[in-house]
Amino acid sequence: MIDEGRPLFLQIAEAIEESILDGTLVEDGQAPSTNELAAFYRINPATAAKGVALLTDKGILLKRRGIGMFVAAGARSILLAERRTTFAERYIDPLIAEARTLGLGPDDLAALLRERSAPIGDAGSTASTEGSSA
Amino acid sequence: MRRTLNVIRLQLINRSTFLWTPAIVLGAAVAMSILVYVLIPSGEPKYGIAAGQAPLWVFLSIGISAMTLTFPFSQAISITRREFFLGTMAAAVLGSALMGGLFLIGGALEKATGGYGLNGWTFYLPWLWEAGPVGAFAVYFTLALFFFVMGFTGATVYKRWGAVTLTTAGVGLALVVIGLVFLATRLELWGQVGVGVAQLGAFGLALCGLAATVALMGVSFLMFRRTLP
Amino acid sequence: MTTVIDVQNLTKRYKDKLALDGVSLTIDENTIYGVLGRNGAGKTTLMSILTAQNFATSGDALVFGERPYENARVLSRICFVRESQKYPDESTPTHAFRAARLFFRNWDQEFAERLIDDFQLPMKTRIKKLSRGQLSAVGVIIGLASRAEITFFDEPYLGLDAVARQIFYDRLLEDYAEFPRTIILSSHLIDEVANLIEKVIVIDGGRILLDEDTDALRGRAANVIGDATKVEAWAQGREVIHRESLGRVTSVTVLGHLDAAERAAIAADGLDLAAVSLQQLVVRLTQNASSSASDTAATITEEVH
Repeated sequence: MIDEGRPLFLQIAEAIEESILDGTLVEDGQAPSTNELAAFYRINPATAAKGVALLTDKGILLKRRGIGMFVAAGARSILLAERRTTFAERYIDPLIAEARTLGLGPDDLAALLRERSAPIGDAGSTASTEGSSA
Repeated sequence: MRRTLNVIRLQLINRSTFLWTPAIVLGAAVAMSILVYVLIPSGEPKYGIAAGQAPLWVFLSIGISAMTLTFPFSQAISITRREFFLGTMAAAVLGSALMGGLFLIGGALEKATGGYGLNGWTFYLPWLWEAGPVGAFAVYFTLALFFFVMGFTGATVYKRWGAVTLTTAGVGLALVVIGLVFLATRLELWGQVGVGVAQLGAFGLALCGLAATVALMGVSFLMFRRTLP
Repeated sequence: MTTVIDVQNLTKRYKDKLALDGVSLTIDENTIYGVLGRNGAGKTTLMSILTAQNFATSGDALVFGERPYENARVLSRICFVRESQKYPDESTPTHAFRAARLFFRNWDQEFAERLIDDFQLPMKTRIKKLSRGQLSAVGVIIGLASRAEITFFDEPYLGLDAVARQIFYDRLLEDYAEFPRTIILSSHLIDEVANLIEKVIVIDGGRILLDEDTDALRGRAANVIGDATKVEAWAQGREVIHRESLGRVTSVTVLGHLDAAERAAIAADGLDLAAVSLQQLVVRLTQNASSSASDTAATITEEVH
C-alpha cells in the first residue's frame, strides 16, 4: 500500500485527501489525529504529523484547540480544483503513452472513452458532457 | 551514593547468589563432615577443614560471575563502573559477614555439643579461637572476601587481556610464592615466621589478610576501570 | 531541535582494524533514528562508545553536552540493550526487571507487565534457560519500559520471530507517540523499520555513508529497466549505483530525483520505472562503496548530500 519511491508524509496526506473526496471524511467533521494515523499505518508519529501539517497549510484540515483535527469547510472544493489541474498530467499523459505503445491514436481513445463511459454516463453526466465537448 | 546502595540491592535481588548458595554449600559440607566423623570411631579430636573451605570456592565463583555476567548487565542499565565496583564489593562484604556469622554459630554449636558428640570439629579449630569469637569471625570473613576479590580480579584480567595473560599472571604469582618459600627455607627463617604468626594470632593474621584484600581491591579497580563489558 | 548527542571525528582503532574512522554526527532529541550497515561496519562500536561501554581512540562524543564516561548524571538517562545481552547468573526475568526498575527513574512497571504479556514471557524461568526469542524479549522490554531519554536498541530483536517483531514495532511507536524520546535503532531489516525511523544513518567500513531524513531518501534513487541500449543511453551522465543484465534487458539503479517530465519520457521510451526501497538503496550504496575506490564513495556521499 505504501509506495517506496515517495515521501511517506505525502502519501499520508494523499490518503486523507482521498477520504475527503470519497466522502469518508466529511467537511466540518472530525479528522484522524496524528497518533491514530501513526498507529493505523504503523509509521512514525512525526511523519504522520508532517502529513497533517501539509494539509493544514493547504487549508484542508484545521485544528480546533483542545478538541482535535477537523476537516475544513470547503476542503472538498479545494481538492477537486487541485485534482482537476493535475488530472491531465496524472491520468491523461500515461494513458496516451500506453495507447501509443499499443498503436492506438487519439480517435481510438475517444471511441474507447465513449464506449466505457456509457453505463455510468448518467451518474457522472456533468463531467462527461464537459469532457466530450473537447 | 543512592545508586551505589542500589547496586548492593541489585546484587541481593537474587538472594541465592550471595546468601543462600554459600550457606547451603556450607551446610552440606558440614553434614558430610559429620558423616565422616561418625565413620571414624576414635576418641581423638578430629579436625576437618574440608567443610570450612567449601563455601570459599563458592565465593570465588560468584566473584567471577559478578564480573562476567552482572557487570555487562549493569552496563546495559547504565550503572557507572565506580558505582558497580563499590556496590558489588559492599555486597561481598555483607555476604562474607554472613559467612563469618555462620562460622561463629557453627563454632558455638560445636562447643556446646562437644563436637556433635563425636569430638569432630569443623568450625571450632582451637588455634582459630584463641583470640575469641572476634578472631574466628575475622579469619573466616577475610577468607571469604579474599576469595571473592580473587575471582573478580581474575575475571577482570581475563576479560581485559585474555586467557594467556591470566595464566601467565597466575603462574607468575605462584612462582613468587614458591620463591619466598624457597628463600625462607634457605635462610632458615621458618622459625621466625612461626614466632611471628604465633604473636599475631588468628586475629592479627586476619587483619593482615584484610589489608592484602583491600590492596587487591585497589589494584582490581584500576584494571576494571577500562575493561569492556 | 536540541542536540542530545554530538560526535566529532570519532575514531576507534584496534590492533588490526579501524572500526570507526573519523565519524561525525549529531543526534536530535525526540526522534527515532535508524542506524544501518553491514555486520562489522561499526554500528555497535559507535553505540558502545556513546554509552561509555567502550573507549574512543581519538575524537569526542558528548551526550547531553557531557562526556559519558563514569558520568552517572548522563548515564542514568540512557539505556543500551544489545543483542545477546548478558544477565546475572541464575537470574530470572523477574530479577532483571526488578534491577532495571532500581536504576531507571522513568521505569513504568505497568507498561513492562503489558509487554511481558504481549511477548508471553515466562517470568520464573531462569534466563539462561529461555529460548532465543524470549531472551530477546527480555532485552526489548527493558529498553521499552525504561523510557530512558536516549534508548539504544542494538539489534536486540534478532531472536524475535516476525510476529514478535511486529509487536515490538507497534509498542515502540505507541509508546513513542505518548512519551517522545530519542530512540536509536540499529537493524539489518531495513524495510521493516523504514516506516518507523525519521532519520537514517548508514555506516560502512567505519565511515558515515548517509545521514538524512528517511523521507528525503524515498525517491532518491530509481530503477530503470528495459532494452539494454535504450537504458544505457538514458543512464549516460547519471550516477549509476547498480547495474544488472539479463540477456537484452538491463536494469540500472540511478541516484537522483526524477521529475514528472523525466518519468513521462521514460515511459514514452518504453522503459519501466520502479521505485527503490530504502533497503535496496542502502544495500546498493554500500555495495557500491565497497567495490569502488574510496574516492568514489566520497563522491557519492557528496552527491547524496
